[in-house]
Amino acid sequence: MDNILIVDSVTKEYPGRVAVDSVSFSVKKGSIHGFLGPNGAGKSTTMRMIAGLLPPTSGTITLFGEIVFPEKRHLKNQIGLLPENAPLYPDMTVEDYLTFVGKLHHMKNIPSRMDEVISGLNLQDVRKRIIGNLSKGYKQRVGLAQAIFYNAPFLILDEPTNGLDPQSVVELREFIKGLAKEKTILFSSHILSEVEQICDHITIIHQGKIRASGNLGEIHRKFRQGLVLKLGLSPGEKLPDLSRFGHYEVGTTQHFTSEDQYHLSFESEHDFRPELVKYLVGQGILVHTVMVESPELEDIFLHMTETRA
Amino acid sequence: MIWTLFKKEAQSYFSSPLAYVLIGLFSLISGIMFFNLLVTYSDGIQAIPQNMTETVSFVDEVVLRLFANINFLFLVFIPLITMRLFSEEKRQDTLEIFWLSPVRDWQIILAKGLAALSLILAMLLMTGLFPLIIWGIGIQDFSVLFSAYLSVILNACAYISLGLFCSSISGNQIIAALLSILGIMFLWMITWGGNLNSNFIVAEIFHYLGISSHFERILRGVIGTQDLIYYLSFISIFGILTVKSLDRRNW
Repeated sequence: MDNILIVDSVTKEYPGRVAVDSVSFSVKKGSIHGFLGPNGAGKSTTMRMIAGLLPPTSGTITLFGEIVFPEKRHLKNQIGLLPENAPLYPDMTVEDYLTFVGKLHHMKNIPSRMDEVISGLNLQDVRKRIIGNLSKGYKQRVGLAQAIFYNAPFLILDEPTNGLDPQSVVELREFIKGLAKEKTILFSSHILSEVEQICDHITIIHQGKIRASGNLGEIHRKFRQGLVLKLGLSPGEKLPDLSRFGHYEVGTTQHFTSEDQYHLSFESEHDFRPELVKYLVGQGILVHTVMVESPELEDIFLHMTETRA
Repeated sequence: MIWTLFKKEAQSYFSSPLAYVLIGLFSLISGIMFFNLLVTYSDGIQAIPQNMTETVSFVDEVVLRLFANINFLFLVFIPLITMRLFSEEKRQDTLEIFWLSPVRDWQIILAKGLAALSLILAMLLMTGLFPLIIWGIGIQDFSVLFSAYLSVILNACAYISLGLFCSSISGNQIIAALLSILGIMFLWMITWGGNLNSNFIVAEIFHYLGISSHFERILRGVIGTQDLIYYLSFISIFGILTVKSLDRRNW
């Protein structure tokens, strides 16, 4: 079984509004799958449907080869969810809370699992404290502890790093990366750099529709439109008119004066760096660097969410 | 599983000041009522001739009135106890913990109901002092106490099931409390409606549907099957309605 999760043309409609529109994607076993989209794109709704909290209006969600709706009781121990607002009881201590979660899932070895999770998430200092008095960063970690406590093989984390200080964000990311050794993780975020750092596969959603889905490399390739070159010239040099350059059509030319750098985009994907350098040198221009630039995920994302909005 | 859920609810009750404020207030008010009934009774006894004291029953004048008054206090106290049960979880988004686990909805509802009942029992425990006082002044007929306590406990169960339902339909505690107060008043008004109606059959139906006639029969020690069935079906209906209301998440 390669795909743990298959979402097949899932739609969620509310009166007068389509929150999720015919969404399809799949998550491979053992991967960290990034689920990317601006706020309000339908990420949380989709994740709640996958977790079995919300039935889709139409379409099917298959998890571990089983259809999620109508609710399957035995699937409940297989999914861990950290919702956008961590479901915490403010009047319980961290330990009592996690014990309660463990008991709800019929766990037997709660004390040993407690030590494991508490030390894994660096919660030692607060384990006896009341959750309501903890900082936002600690609360988020307790929420994550809840999601992983009963050892579910599939984890859904809805913007786990949202609103945390930079130090906590780094720690949490490292921890999530560590989890991926044993588990499959669906991880949502609206921050691209984050997804690029920890995910190997991504799905981009915008206005309830999937814009792209696949592994990072594929998405990069798919959205690379023609060759983009980063051209560095020696100080003082000027880029000549390139419209007469060979038989290649030059799209846009961007000039960054501060660095004597140019971004050149071409319609063609053919790598003609040697020809270009030969041409420029022939014109008596000193070339510093020529690099092929692969588009940043950020550009792809902005491109997709703007142009089709 | 029910035990785990019950323990969590009970802990959350008894770790909040509200529980102790309610227990304290309840003891105070019911104590004043008891004292007042005792004084009224002894004044009444002294006012009538010696040979007629037998006609004024201590049980009727003090015990039954006290428990009817306790039932009246429930109108405010039980909605205050049940209002937070589901509303609070909704506000904190914590119901998801249950929905992510293999727990069934009816188990959650039952555990919450039992936890509320345990708080009511703690309140009623305080009234256990009253029989001791009566015993101290030389009255020893306690047979009526069993049915009297049973009647208020059954009423409490019915009000709790109603309160649970009200709490499950609103994310706002105040609204949940108001709804259940109105609900309990409506239950009483059905009986008054029966009293006002001249048609015998309609009046009987009203009396059966209202809670008061069942309460009064059991309070007086007449524990009939029809009354027990009434309470059982009342609690079941509101239990099922609460399950349905929680199921709304699946719409």
